[in-house]
Amino acid sequence: MPMVLLKCDKDIPEREKHIYLKVDGEDSRDFLPVSNAATLPGTLSERGCAFCGAKLVIGGVLKDTIQMIHGPVGCAYDTWHTKRYPTDNGHFNMKYVWSTDMKESHIVFGGEKRLEKSINEAFDEMPDIKRMFVYTTCPTALIGDDVKAVAKKVMSERPDVDIFTCECPGFAGVSQSKGHHVLNIGWINEKVGTVEPVITSKYTMNFIGDFNIQGDTQLLNQYWEKLGIQVIAHFTGNGTYDDLRAMHRAQLSVVNCARSSGYIANELKKQYGIPRLDIDSWGFNYMAEAIRKICAFFGIEDRGEALIADEYTKWKPKLDWYKERLKGTKMAIWTGGPRLWHWTKSVEDDLGVQVVAMSSKFGHQEDFEKVIARGKQGTYYIDDGNELEFFEIIELVKPDIIFTGPRVGELVKKLHIPYVNGHGYHNGPYMGFEGFVNLARDTYNAMYNPLLKLAATDIRGPVSTRFLEAAE
Amino acid sequence: MGCEITNRERAGVINPMYDCQPAGAQYAGIGVKDCIPLVHGGQGCTMFVRLLFAQHFKENFDVASTSLHEDSAVFGGHQRIRDGVMTLVRRYPNLRVIPVITTCSTEVIGDDVEGNISACRKMIKEEFPGRKVHVVPVHTPSFKSSQVGGYAECLQAMIKTIATSKAAPSGKLNVFPGWVNPGDVVLLKRYLSEMGVDATVFMDTEDFDSPTLPDKSIHTHGRTTVEDIAGSPNARASLALARYEGASSAEYLKNEFDVPAHVVPTPYGIGNTDALLQKISEITGKPIPESLIRERGIALDALQDLAHMFFADKRVALFGHPDLVIGLAQFCLEVEMKPVLLLLGDDNSKYKKDPRITEMKATATWDMEVVCNADLWELEKRVKSPDHKIDLILGHSKGRYVAIDNNVPMTRVGFPTFDRAGLYRHPTMGYQGAMLLGEAIANTLFTHMEYTRDREWILNTW
Repeated sequence: MPMVLLKCDKDIPEREKHIYLKVDGEDSRDFLPVSNAATLPGTLSERGCAFCGAKLVIGGVLKDTIQMIHGPVGCAYDTWHTKRYPTDNGHFNMKYVWSTDMKESHIVFGGEKRLEKSINEAFDEMPDIKRMFVYTTCPTALIGDDVKAVAKKVMSERPDVDIFTCECPGFAGVSQSKGHHVLNIGWINEKVGTVEPVITSKYTMNFIGDFNIQGDTQLLNQYWEKLGIQVIAHFTGNGTYDDLRAMHRAQLSVVNCARSSGYIANELKKQYGIPRLDIDSWGFNYMAEAIRKICAFFGIEDRGEALIADEYTKWKPKLDWYKERLKGTKMAIWTGGPRLWHWTKSVEDDLGVQVVAMSSKFGHQEDFEKVIARGKQGTYYIDDGNELEFFEIIELVKPDIIFTGPRVGELVKKLHIPYVNGHGYHNGPYMGFEGFVNLARDTYNAMYNPLLKLAATDIRGPVSTRFLEAAE
Repeated sequence: MGCEITNRERAGVINPMYDCQPAGAQYAGIGVKDCIPLVHGGQGCTMFVRLLFAQHFKENFDVASTSLHEDSAVFGGHQRIRDGVMTLVRRYPNLRVIPVITTCSTEVIGDDVEGNISACRKMIKEEFPGRKVHVVPVHTPSFKSSQVGGYAECLQAMIKTIATSKAAPSGKLNVFPGWVNPGDVVLLKRYLSEMGVDATVFMDTEDFDSPTLPDKSIHTHGRTTVEDIAGSPNARASLALARYEGASSAEYLKNEFDVPAHVVPTPYGIGNTDALLQKISEITGKPIPESLIRERGIALDALQDLAHMFFADKRVALFGHPDLVIGLAQFCLEVEMKPVLLLLGDDNSKYKKDPRITEMKATATWDMEVVCNADLWELEKRVKSPDHKIDLILGHSKGRYVAIDNNVPMTRVGFPTFDRAGLYRHPTMGYQGAMLLGEAIANTLFTHMEYTRDREWILNTW
């Protein structure tokens, strides 16, 4: 019985196909949870929408680009102050959000004029900014506004600006994953190849699928600089619009987040013959392996080994201090998708932590293939988990710590289980060698929080002598 | 000199001040016990609003989605409403209320919400005989109004659906404070209890600040019960403390059940709180107790130390919910600050005729601007301009960078205040709230003086 019907799901038996318990002698050729399928209404799923997959996850990261959201004001309000992706130019991307503030009359008579006016105003108000993404939302897609035509018109009237349109209404697809796809494919087809980069190194690559969460991109960039590799474009951490238009000139596409950004790497291969190399950037073993693979591609293995040796000298003792204290910890991971397979083996190898349950919001089949291959027996693998399932799984596997978002973190706090922000991190970056020490430190500090013990104490029970003795 | 009322002149918004209608409806919905709102729309409309509540309250709230996908956009989302309602009813045996909250997409598609709810009621009756679940239609298209109107709409819709008949008079007061913090609700309940007045606060959000307990039980939910709502027509009177977030419900109860409705000043500051207590006293015949006279005195005592010495002539910009902004502008005047800029963030045309604004307009001896339908770019432009000379910003966390980047002190107040710890726990209403806010403002100004070396030595001897 490897597929599991939880008690809380007795009224929605379809959920059995989404929850897998790995047992000895099985692998994903035998059983694979159904994924990337429509959510059952009313289940309290954790999923977001296609619009947020495009705007919040990928486009909104860019540090020099206006994010014009064509729709009612909520889509803009909600995708603002909800991410931690700084930039090296003062976080322009996190400070502002733009909306066409669509009202009923625009629904009735069309919103194209409103969009055109909003675009022009935005460029007028911020004259230093010359690049823009325009997103559609549920209502603008339903009424059929032609946003491409509007963008074209503005570009013809303002020759110094460039606009990319992304048609990603919230109802498209089954989760934020659809928005990733739409943005990837739109960008490669419309914008890549329209700018020629200045080449400064013999070795060039695109770094794809890393969004500079708490400085991930900037940390990894130190490695690439030391190795003498020029990153043509970061898709999209700390990235710029025009760098992304020059992706076609890289010799290699290195992919971290395959789920959100694998599509563009595939297209770069198909359309421009640029090879795709998938890596993991979290964890010591994985990061070293990634550097080795990239350096092997360029034939600079010596530089790679020197860098790895340096970093190990600097950070490995710190990691081992935490490993000593964290080994045997039972962890659950409830995040988007790829972090399940990025983390399950790295926390096991590098920190001795055992991942006992994992839930993915928007992973696809290949994400589950990877995570089940890398994960352990006795672990639950869940697609699109919902709140009651989380409670039941917690009872079944009794995790010591959960990597998840802040809202679920607040929920499990009441159950005396500490959480670490698995989306925006507690105190990152978490990528690279230094980053994984940060992850270990935050895990340790969450686990060994003295308040947890106090929370579990019922003072109506046996008298605690510790503090009294200390006072005497 | 004098007050000018203007509008945002741009079509588009840069940095919105409010979320859209369904967000407000969700906030009203979670104030009810044994209630899970079901948002009929894309999943983002729910997921982000839950995150927003979690950011502000540092708590989790349950809100469900019908998870609208393409097929529903083409063929309608009827089945998803029915499936959503029935899944909730089946999996949550204690559930008693489900507001079905529409969004822009489902209003454009034109799903027959009422018809589907009727079908749901029938299904519930058949499958769970003897169990009553109130399924409430709430129409909140995102392209109308804002979170402010959405809150009022959902509140009224729940009353309309659940409070269907008048029974014996309860002698109680219905109190509608509007979208406030648990700290305000606790204060209002305390005031009413000290006055010996039996009242129901809609919504009772006291438990939005909930404990971690040894037995791991979770008590993060609204306290307003189905019985509270059903009993609202039996009340002696309704008091709406928020013109834009509660008055429509008081009006409804008046029109349907002859419950006298009173729209009172939003009790921010001393004078407004006086007016509220006097109105309660007038309606109930209960005197204002000694304890509140004393609390009033303590607040006055504290604020007097601050007003003429530190606050006088400070030019303040305020943004946030309309009743909050207007009430706090009145509070500013009490403590000798000048509310020079009021930003109200949606296109409600009634703000211009708000009697409180009319009064300020008539009496302003300083230059003052009220910007309607404003966004935070309007704030940023004025804070940057040397003409405006803003000394202090009062508003919520979404405006934080205006303060940070322009080095203007800002005291967080309203919703959301996710970049400061624990604010939801403190009242802003009442005497205590006025005192706490005044002291928070003073400490903000003091810290700013210290870090900008602006006569910080004054405080050497204060």
